[in-house]
Amino acid sequence: MAGPLEQFEIKPLAELSLGGIDISFTNSALWMVIAAVLVTCFMTLSMRRGALVPGRWQGAAEVMYEFVANMLKDNVGSAGRKYFPFIFTLFMFVMFGNLLGMIPHSFTFTSHIAVNFALALVIFIGVTVIGFMRHGTHYLRMFFPEGAPIATAIILVPIEIISYFSRPFSLAIRLFANMTVGHIMLKVIGGFVGLIGILGVLPFALLTGITVLEFGIAALQAYVFTILTCIYLHDAIHMH
Amino acid sequence: MPQFDIATFSAQIFWLFVIFAVLYFLMSKIALPKVGEVLERRQKTIEDNLGKARALKDETDAAIAKYEAALAEARDAAQADIREASEKAAAEQAKKTEALVKKLSKKTSDAEKAIADAKTDALSGVAEAASEIAREATEKLIGVKVQAKTADKAVSAIVGE
Repeated sequence: MAGPLEQFEIKPLAELSLGGIDISFTNSALWMVIAAVLVTCFMTLSMRRGALVPGRWQGAAEVMYEFVANMLKDNVGSAGRKYFPFIFTLFMFVMFGNLLGMIPHSFTFTSHIAVNFALALVIFIGVTVIGFMRHGTHYLRMFFPEGAPIATAIILVPIEIISYFSRPFSLAIRLFANMTVGHIMLKVIGGFVGLIGILGVLPFALLTGITVLEFGIAALQAYVFTILTCIYLHDAIHMH
Repeated sequence: MPQFDIATFSAQIFWLFVIFAVLYFLMSKIALPKVGEVLERRQKTIEDNLGKARALKDETDAAIAKYEAALAEARDAAQADIREASEKAAAEQAKKTEALVKKLSKKTSDAEKAIADAKTDALSGVAEAASEIAREATEKLIGVKVQAKTADKAVSAIVGE
């Protein structure tokens, strides 16, 4: 029987390399492609008719659009309008990645720290660049809140710097930990079902409940990842 | 743990960037503008329809006001007509009543006159008869022939009292 960590193994499907760097097309990349294709189909085929009174699929696509648009508007305001395509892509990509991972024998690319950290780093760098472009060196005020007594700078500035630079780590590790732990738990408890005979109904019942919970976590963590990105964007645009 | 196998990082990150970039392009250039356009068109249609409904309502209100004004005017005219007719009827009635009263009072006064004449006739007849009876009674009782003139005087003296 496969161990609980085997589901996270990266298996190359086509060996490729570019300038000596390994860029093999792996199972991770395959599921990214599947997620991207599904998101694209969902957002385009459902809107093909562009009906005034939406059908079921069009309604669902519009709900996703308005959900992300409202999230952005509530957290960033109208200045965040031009980042909407990025935020939307991010949310859909992460959410589909998380949800596709719930299919048995599939692969959850969001359970990998490399993927999450790369996304988080792009967001972190992007937000920092936006901050400096809008506020110039004044953006450094992020590290020392307006109105605080100058004597507190010696404590506040290091704390603010640490909290600022820990953003990509917390963003990446939160998603990685949630996805990985959930999948390990499902696998371990699933292993008990066959092992203990008729008593296996108990872990099976537990497994059923946890599966429902994991679906919730899949959607929730995509939401958390996106809303934190929105909050960072808000800080970059409006400062504190 | 496979997550910490650094050898797989480059391939994962490379494909992440490629696929995310493609998805970003598809969303920002094709999918999202379409959704935005549909939502905007719906918003516009709703607003247009609301505007149209508002205009129609205003029109309806105007028509109702006009109708009510016409109704009030008609009511006033009808009331004026009724008043005029009733006044005319009342005047005619009064005239008729007056004529009737005049006719009746004339009849009454005629009748009263006739009664008075009849009474006078009757009374004068009574006086004549009384003086005659008195004369005859006197002759039969005491054998004295009383002059008619004297008897008349005596009777009229009693009747006149």
